[in-house]
Amino acid sequence: MKYLITMLAIFAFPVFADVNIVGTVAAKCVIQTTKSGVYGNPLASKLSTLAADGGVQPIIRYDVALADNYYARITHPDAFTSSPVLNDSVTWTGGTTVSQTSDAAMSGYDAAKVVIGSMTQFDLTQAGSTWFTTASTATYGVSKALPGGTFTAVVRAECIAK
Amino acid sequence: MLSKTLIILLGWASAISAHEMTPAYPDLKPSHVAGVVKAEMSLFNSREEIKYYQIELFDLNWNNMPFSTTYRIMKVGYKERKNFNVYIRKSDLDIATYICTTSKIKRKSGARTLVSSRICSKINGEPR
Repeated sequence: MKYLITMLAIFAFPVFADVNIVGTVAAKCVIQTTKSGVYGNPLASKLSTLAADGGVQPIIRYDVALADNYYARITHPDAFTSSPVLNDSVTWTGGTTVSQTSDAAMSGYDAAKVVIGSMTQFDLTQAGSTWFTTASTATYGVSKALPGGTFTAVVRAECIAK
Repeated sequence: MLSKTLIILLGWASAISAHEMTPAYPDLKPSHVAGVVKAEMSLFNSREEIKYYQIELFDLNWNNMPFSTTYRIMKVGYKERKNFNVYIRKSDLDIATYICTTSKIKRKSGARTLVSSRICSKINGEPR
């Protein structure tokens, strides 16, 4: 009888069920347009996103989940996607810089960037968020006044798996 | 003062605006068609101003390559996730390198820059 009670006591423990929570961290890139740019018109012949010229520079944030899996490629405009009729050439300048990072180890991104024409490539060697600022300036003819109307240009932000 | 307020509002309005595509390194699976494999992809759109994304396939030199999918330009609503398959011929697998989605931008009024986003996954690539 004692033996039976002991056996029952052993098997009378509550039953535990393990409920697993499974998560996977995989390589992933998210491009966030933190701020769309606006052209200022400091001179009759010039449109510029620089704050000093009354413009707003676009800010693009890249979030990568795992380090060293992506390149960020940002191309500043070299043409208007929509504008009034232009009878003279437009000279484009611009560039992209790192404006903010979530990790101090990303501080070398700007120095290591590769610029090819209007495209700037950054090697995203760290996991986390990086904010890029792109400047764009369009100068019309030789100090020629731009015609009135709407001007739009596109900044291309790419995230390319390595 | 008014212009500063407008600029701040413009920045705030576009503060949560993202384009996401996974996986970075898709597995290629057999499809229901002989000689064709498929990559199962997923796109999440939280760019409120974007409603359409274009799917493209490129080789290593960024030349367009033939592929098949349900919609090459697909509508993805704000805060919507869309799964899609990209079908690639087995004979093209040696050179097919990138599956990309690119946001399609609508013309807007005002002197401004717009941001076109493109995310590319790598076929036959491996996480580092």
